Amino acid sequence: MKQIIGMLYGALVSTLALAGVQITDDKGHEVRLEQAPKRIVSLYPSLTEAVCALGRCQDLVGVDRYSNFPASVRALPQLGGGLDPQIEAVFALKPDLVLAASSSPGADRLAALGLKVVQLEPKHYADTVRVLHTLATLLGVADAQPVIDKIDADFAAAQAQMPAQARGKKVYFEVSTGPYAAGASSFIGQTLQRLGLVNIVGPELGPFPKINPELVVRSQPDIVVVADSSLAGMAERPGWGQVRALQAHRVCTFNKDDGDVLVRAGPRMGQGALRLAQCLRRLYPPKDSL
Amino acid sequence: MTASIALPPALQVRGLQVSLGGRPVLQGVYFSVAAGRWVSIVGPNGAGKSTLLAALAGLLPAQGQISLLGQDVATMNPAYRARSLAWMGQNEPAGEDLRAWDVVLLGRLPHQGWLAGLQAHDLQVAEQALRSTQAWDWRERSMGTLSGGERQRVLLARALAVQAPVILFDEPLSHLDPPHQADWMDLTRALVAAGATVLSVLHEVSMALQADEMLMVHNGRLVHQGACADTRTHRALEQVFDQRIAVHTLDGQALVLPRRASSASQQERA
Amino acid sequence: MKHYLFHRPLHLGLLLGLLTLLLLVLGTLAGSSGMDALPSVLRALQAGADDDGRMLAQIVWQIRLPRGVGAWLAGALLGLAGALAQSVFRNPLADPYLLGSASGASLGVCLALVAMDGALINVHWLGRVGLTGAAFAGAMVAVVMTAALARGVAQTLRLLLAGVVVAVVLGAGSSLVLQMHPQLLQSMQGFMLGSTAFVGWDGCALMLAALLVGLAVTWALGRWLDGLVLGEHTARSMGLPVDAMRWVLILTLALATGAAVAHTGLIAFVGLAAPHISRRMVRWGARHGAVLAAMLGGLLLAAADLLARLVIAPAELPVGVLTALLGGGYLLWLMRRAHGAGAMQ
Repeated sequence: MKQIIGMLYGALVSTLALAGVQITDDKGHEVRLEQAPKRIVSLYPSLTEAVCALGRCQDLVGVDRYSNFPASVRALPQLGGGLDPQIEAVFALKPDLVLAASSSPGADRLAALGLKVVQLEPKHYADTVRVLHTLATLLGVADAQPVIDKIDADFAAAQAQMPAQARGKKVYFEVSTGPYAAGASSFIGQTLQRLGLVNIVGPELGPFPKINPELVVRSQPDIVVVADSSLAGMAERPGWGQVRALQAHRVCTFNKDDGDVLVRAGPRMGQGALRLAQCLRRLYPPKDSL
Repeated sequence: MTASIALPPALQVRGLQVSLGGRPVLQGVYFSVAAGRWVSIVGPNGAGKSTLLAALAGLLPAQGQISLLGQDVATMNPAYRARSLAWMGQNEPAGEDLRAWDVVLLGRLPHQGWLAGLQAHDLQVAEQALRSTQAWDWRERSMGTLSGGERQRVLLARALAVQAPVILFDEPLSHLDPPHQADWMDLTRALVAAGATVLSVLHEVSMALQADEMLMVHNGRLVHQGACADTRTHRALEQVFDQRIAVHTLDGQALVLPRRASSASQQERA
Repeated sequence: MKHYLFHRPLHLGLLLGLLTLLLLVLGTLAGSSGMDALPSVLRALQAGADDDGRMLAQIVWQIRLPRGVGAWLAGALLGLAGALAQSVFRNPLADPYLLGSASGASLGVCLALVAMDGALINVHWLGRVGLTGAAFAGAMVAVVMTAALARGVAQTLRLLLAGVVVAVVLGAGSSLVLQMHPQLLQSMQGFMLGSTAFVGWDGCALMLAALLVGLAVTWALGRWLDGLVLGEHTARSMGLPVDAMRWVLILTLALATGAAVAHTGLIAFVGLAAPHISRRMVRWGARHGAVLAAMLGGLLLAAADLLARLVIAPAELPVGVLTALLGGGYLLWLMRRAHGAGAMQ
């Protein structure tokens, strides 16, 4: 059923691709493209990954300095960051579509120069699905569903990998020293929730609150997830010697690459969940393998 | 005054030269001041009078030799020098929230040891200093609330509190009304009578002529030193100011009046 | 007759001491769940308490108390440094970060974070000593650079200008590093806003040592500092070794600032507000003024830390925001009162 709808949708989109498409981006701007873009500039890593996942990597002519996946985009010209794009360089590439985050300050300038700028900033799973569909429409790709299916499949695999004992366990996810935690309402928090974990930082505190370190000691999370560079010295923080997860080393660390996967609400979301699940599997080995 | 003991001159300067920014501001200065004299220093604006006083007080790098009370300042203990020579500058700041009393007490710093506190003697000296400049009554007021003249008298008292045998005043009469100018003059005479040596830069030339001796500075050089009563000094004074002033004598007192431009050209033709 | 009003500074000092104690006690009650009740904390501190009680006791001794004390000590260091800065520069707008120490500490932390970011091995000692030591070293290096650039400490204007130059250049350096490592932005922001979150007993010990050194130097140079108020020339004419004094004071300033910044990041306004408030409360005499400024700074930061923890518990507000609100608000009130009373300022 899903496939029939997908094909119909694809047919519709393809016809529209010939007639020109119009979409409304995350900032409410309506952008119209007469034909499928052949020169795309992406100024946001998750959008870069989405474009490639939709099979249009070859149409990218320039990316921001933080886009690093897949490896092929690293060879493309780097046009500054999302917050400080090089306007001139972008313009010089004569793109027929510029993808930027909603929070990008250069987008207005680029639009004023006459470029077609679409601002999308996926922050959650639902956002990513929507963005993928929007991008598919824009790029004239028949169907975004395979990509979404892949994400779902990854999530399913992650959930399957989750050891039974890990379900319902309390987790503390530290985003950076501060300590800034990933709250339940953040994207990372949603991933953790999908894996069946309970975040010690509730949704009422916002997505990335700066918390009182005491909270961690009081809540005694079962699992701590932190960047590998921040792990050393964590146990030396005043009072944190008592955190049982640190004593028993029930810690999942992530390096820079893992960090990218976990933080970007893009096509690799499910991968992030998968890596977490794999770590948890190591921490809680299933009883039958003992 | 009989000089039964040969006292060394209070100040002796040989070959003093001060350069600021590579340019000589004061050069070839030689003079000597005996102890117990009041010497006034005059000259046109920018002549180098303040620079001279600052150099004597050791505030500017200077070449040449300066002897204070018979001893070369180069070899002198800085603490001893600070007790021997008090300097009062022109337009110096004073810490607006401090009381007059606090400011004058700071004048006792040269006598206080590094960690020592104030002694009863210090308080007495400060009181005496404030009384002598008629500033005792409002010693509790903070400097920021004083008028120009009141403030000046407090700063004078601060210099007096040092109780140094040699006192250098740079424009001590600024902001002072005539009665207080007269007070200052009486004070200086009293100090000198007690054995102190006072050098004062004054642009009130009439007042300057009340001193014992006068030094004239012009274009960074010392052009005359002489007793104020001497008519040669009067003529030299007129010369230093390009004949724009005339020194008259009234009731035995010297008086300086500006000369009108027409009369100046008349003098030249004469 | 008394020259300095010894009575009032002493009374004020006692009052501030009591307020500090009160804040520290309240601090032991304030935590991630808002205010705990005093009886429950007392019960937890007794021997033979249950599991929860023992946990609470550990939290009080190891987290809340060192944090409160540390906040006070950092605030005291900043207050003292501010008093010294205002003395040395004879400028009421001077603050401890003038000579580039803030930018130097930031760059130090930035570079340390970068070094730690990639390295997995040997991060243990680096993590502990690293950030603290880097901030401190950065602050000292910046101040020395400033003094070198100004070619000695003789002229205050040149020193101030050199400080501005060093601050801007090192700040640009930090921006450059962050550009290349954007993942450190949030950590750096935490440092820039200031945080008392991770101050432990060892941090307190270091800060206490620095504070004692600073206070000793200030007390010893106290009378001479007063002399500086009369202007550099007058001070010199009275035998004060003005240049040597400046060096000592600037180094002490750097020490105090570096020690505070190393443990709590860049907390704004304490170093500026504390000496001002001190001056408005009691007649200025360098010794008493500096000690008072230290106590006021400590009180301000301790209060800000307490509120930072309480207002949106268990999340925290940046403590720098609160110091600005509290310190600035009180200063404003004092100024209005002075103007209302008709004092000629």
